[in-house]
Amino acid sequence: MNLIFDIQKSIEDNYDQNAFCISNTYYTYKDFAKVISGIRKVIQTSIKETESNVGLITNDDIQTYASIIALWLEGKAYVPLNPEFPVERNNMVIKQAEISTILDSSIDKVFVEYNTAQTKDSTSSEIDLAPVKVSNDDLGYIFFTSGTTGTPKGVPITFGNLSGFIDAFWKLNYTITNTDRCLQMFELTFDLSVVSYLAPILKGACIYTIPKDEIKYSYIFELMEDYELTFALMVPSILHYLRSYFDEIDCPAMKFSLFCGEALPLDVTEEWSKCVPNATIANVYGPTECTIFCTDYTYKRGGENKTHSGVLTIGKDMKNTTTIIVDEENNEVNIGESGELCLSGAQLTPGYWKNEEKNKEVFFYKEYNGEKVRFYRTGDLCNVDDDGDILYLGRVDFQAKIQGFRVELSEIEFHAKAVLDKINVVAIAFNNKIQNTEIGLVLESAVFETKQLVDDLKLKLPQYMIPTQIKFVDSFPLNTNGKTDRKELKKLFS
Amino acid sequence: MEAEVIKNRISDVLISILEHKNFEMHDELTARDVDGWDSLSHMMIITKIEEEFSIRFKLRDLNKLKNMGSLVSVIQSKI
Repeated sequence: MNLIFDIQKSIEDNYDQNAFCISNTYYTYKDFAKVISGIRKVIQTSIKETESNVGLITNDDIQTYASIIALWLEGKAYVPLNPEFPVERNNMVIKQAEISTILDSSIDKVFVEYNTAQTKDSTSSEIDLAPVKVSNDDLGYIFFTSGTTGTPKGVPITFGNLSGFIDAFWKLNYTITNTDRCLQMFELTFDLSVVSYLAPILKGACIYTIPKDEIKYSYIFELMEDYELTFALMVPSILHYLRSYFDEIDCPAMKFSLFCGEALPLDVTEEWSKCVPNATIANVYGPTECTIFCTDYTYKRGGENKTHSGVLTIGKDMKNTTTIIVDEENNEVNIGESGELCLSGAQLTPGYWKNEEKNKEVFFYKEYNGEKVRFYRTGDLCNVDDDGDILYLGRVDFQAKIQGFRVELSEIEFHAKAVLDKINVVAIAFNNKIQNTEIGLVLESAVFETKQLVDDLKLKLPQYMIPTQIKFVDSFPLNTNGKTDRKELKKLFS
Repeated sequence: MEAEVIKNRISDVLISILEHKNFEMHDELTARDVDGWDSLSHMMIITKIEEEFSIRFKLRDLNKLKNMGSLVSVIQSKI
């Protein structure tokens, strides 16, 4: 497995370089190697060889990142568990992924009822980064995303998938070297975090993280200016937060400014390009199922950029991905016609974790260039132009993106209905004043105090899925097909 | 402006945005201690405070707002 050897080699080659800057403290690659080696010993003594999926409490510290590498060197997958998520949701993930051991760097164990291996003091002067035998089919991680029936679904990604991604990523020529300073702004439960730590590690660059108690967008700005960051992958909602302060931002050191996870509007991108005058700006796209991202578009400074409704194109598929756009019968549509975007290639997950029903729904085989190829239906409505650039038009289903997190509106409705007594509910995604997406909830009921409802939802759902506004209507309006008119209900929110 | 006066006006802002008054104003109060004061409402609270005192925070000011005490002193430095 070359990827794991590449990680080993890069760490060993860069012992004197800084690997991480966490809360203004630097750690060199040698420090990192020592912590990895210490955690490997913990893994070897407290986790059975047969346990392939290991839970990982996602703290913002060197031990948590070292745990990921240590698990990979041992040929094991990590399943991130955010300690701020509701216990019930984490329990569901632990059960589904068949986790029996959790690596935890916290002072006090987050989960007392599971076998926890504590890593806070793990370090070893005997550095050992030689990997065990790892194959392309072994899993590197499983990330859980919002599911329609109240149960999150697991997306397993193999080392083969990850290698396919990394190979295609380098081909984009968004070059990183061991003198670069890279932003890692993502929760480790979000797969954009993976490229944000893995690409710098593979080149011996330094990774700058965001402490959990800081306000993200203003902290990112300070990191960019004070440490002269050179590489940053962000979600576009950060730009919406920063937009009213753009005149204060000047980051000439930035070389590559990438965006992913949500629609990227052209007007904000143009304004942003002045804050990072020397940077190549790119819009990348991809679902967790196709390993981090799989299409790419480089923004043209001062040139024509393709858009739909003001949203920048997501560009062309990357080296190891094939994209097609299909109708409801999985037939390819003509150039310019809209349909559902489908993905295939080395980055595509082997399928949802133990969820045959969902797999049958979204994965299908199709003759493509004379071969039988497995495709994934993204749920994204797109079309492609003569140059092969893909334009994102919207969702075909009821999904929303909240700060880059994928949210099934029906999952929120499911939990709201479960705690309310026979009251009909609709969850709506709407854009607020600064063009960030929020969740609104409409209840078909007379007005009542909703604190209890919100408190109950907080026990089931992560913070980003909690509705920020709740409205009441006597009866839901219907559209011409006799279905609840969500567009009409959306007008209740601003 | 006196710190107490500023605090009272901030308190009114919080009540109007968070729609509850289940918090006590003191210098060590942080967003974590107040129900509903999360990253989304934070932006709204900041904007409302700017309007209330006719001031404008710089991006750098935002990271200095660790608790109520520091919020009050940043406001004092601007009015």
